[in-house]
Amino acid sequence: MIEFINVTKHYPGRHHVLRELNLKLPTGQMALLTGPSGAGKSTLLKLLLRLEDVSHGTLMVNGVDVSTLKKRHIPAYRRRIGVVFQDHKLLMDRDVFNNVALTLQVSGVSGKQIQSRVRAALEKVGLGNRIHNLPATLSGGEQQRVGIARAIVHTPEILLADEPTGNLDGSLSTEILDLFRDFHQHGTTVLVATHDQSQVERLGLPVFHLEQGMLQNSKEKSA
Amino acid sequence: MSALHIRREAAQNALNTLLKQPLATLMTIFALAIVLALPVGLFAALNNLQQLLGQWRDQAQISLFIHQDATEQDIQQLQKQLQGSTGVVNVRYVGKEAALKTFEKNAGMTAAIKILGENPLPASFIVELNPLSESPAALQAQVQKWARQPGVASAQSDLHWVARLQAILALGKRAVWILAIMLAVGAILVMGNTIRLHIAQRRDEIDIASLVGATRAFIRRPFLYQGLIQGAIAGILAWIIIAITIAILQGPVDRLATLYGTRFQLLGLTGLEGLILIIISAILGWLGSRLAVGQHLDHTFS
Repeated sequence: MIEFINVTKHYPGRHHVLRELNLKLPTGQMALLTGPSGAGKSTLLKLLLRLEDVSHGTLMVNGVDVSTLKKRHIPAYRRRIGVVFQDHKLLMDRDVFNNVALTLQVSGVSGKQIQSRVRAALEKVGLGNRIHNLPATLSGGEQQRVGIARAIVHTPEILLADEPTGNLDGSLSTEILDLFRDFHQHGTTVLVATHDQSQVERLGLPVFHLEQGMLQNSKEKSA
Repeated sequence: MSALHIRREAAQNALNTLLKQPLATLMTIFALAIVLALPVGLFAALNNLQQLLGQWRDQAQISLFIHQDATEQDIQQLQKQLQGSTGVVNVRYVGKEAALKTFEKNAGMTAAIKILGENPLPASFIVELNPLSESPAALQAQVQKWARQPGVASAQSDLHWVARLQAILALGKRAVWILAIMLAVGAILVMGNTIRLHIAQRRDEIDIASLVGATRAFIRRPFLYQGLIQGAIAGILAWIIIAITIAILQGPVDRLATLYGTRFQLLGLTGLEGLILIIISAILGWLGSRLAVGQHLDHTFS
């Protein structure tokens, strides 16, 4: 369960990025986070990853009070989450295998397990035959799928994605978002930030719509 | 998270990074080795100087003049005591007759002594000391103690030069220590700067690792191993540099010693000293890395 309780985020000398936000995403559900640029979508995801601190309010994630989490506990908390970025954030000097393996290496998983789990994750995203390719030799959609494999290889409780289809064309966007829906169907809580209205309508998922840091008419549909 | 395989992977990661840029790695190692070889070489030179000065025992002689009434037993006891004392290299007994012969030979006063009718010169012990075995005050105290022994009439010594010699050596040691500390800081800075460049090159990797839940220790470890490995290799290289320098200097030292009718073997580092050098060097490398990576993580790690 992800729960924002009266969460405010502001930066010194700047306007409030999030104001008195109340949002609840039950465990195992998938939702979309929409809104125009600057609405606070990325900030909300950063708070969830504890890349930023909550200014006021409480943020609970699966029983953990993220807003008061001590610095030394942040890495262990992040290992429970998978995250996908618009710009993929891949290591260009490492092949696909080693990009995905990084998530397991930081968790102290042994070499043998890394081999099997990375291969399985890459099969899931349809890149089983690209395991030794460098990211630069892959298309944008393939690079994003490497990012997704890296985010799901450790079977996280929660999967977050910040505009994962932002740089992709229509059919590739559909492929990628369908991948997220597959993971959600296996029990992962998924929150995807997107501004792609056609995909929002196609997927028919619950939507949290942000405008100027405030939650607007959120749409509660069952996935 | 502290399993052996994580450390092994971090070490492998560190080695790969170093081998990817062999020239830069070698330059760092050489720079560190030279920085380390300088003070350690100076320490070795001081050790050799001490060894050389320790051989100047004839310059630290003390004469203990025996009382005319001293018994044979007094003399034997005194000799035993002198031979068992700290810093005594040699004890030589000069009897009355031997003293007279030496006096006649050196001073040419045979006629004057014959007028006296009897031998006025006392028997004595000539004690040769290692001038660096004790502090000048301790040596002086020892001489005074001997002078109070039964059978001893008086003692004659010139320990001022020992005090001067030891003061010069103490000054040299202090100067080398200061230089060593300054160069150790230099070594840490060299390593810190090198690691800072590696961090800059791997910033993306650090950021992404942090996003997927890497701990500070996980991120820091490969960099610390890089510092440790480079430091240890630099220590070995510094040892080799010192050994080569000593081998090169041994020839001229041999020729110089021959001119003075003596022999002198230059001392390098012992196995234990070499090992300590490698350990200290590895620690300095580790410390430089730790400072650089710690500073970076303090500013960026969240």
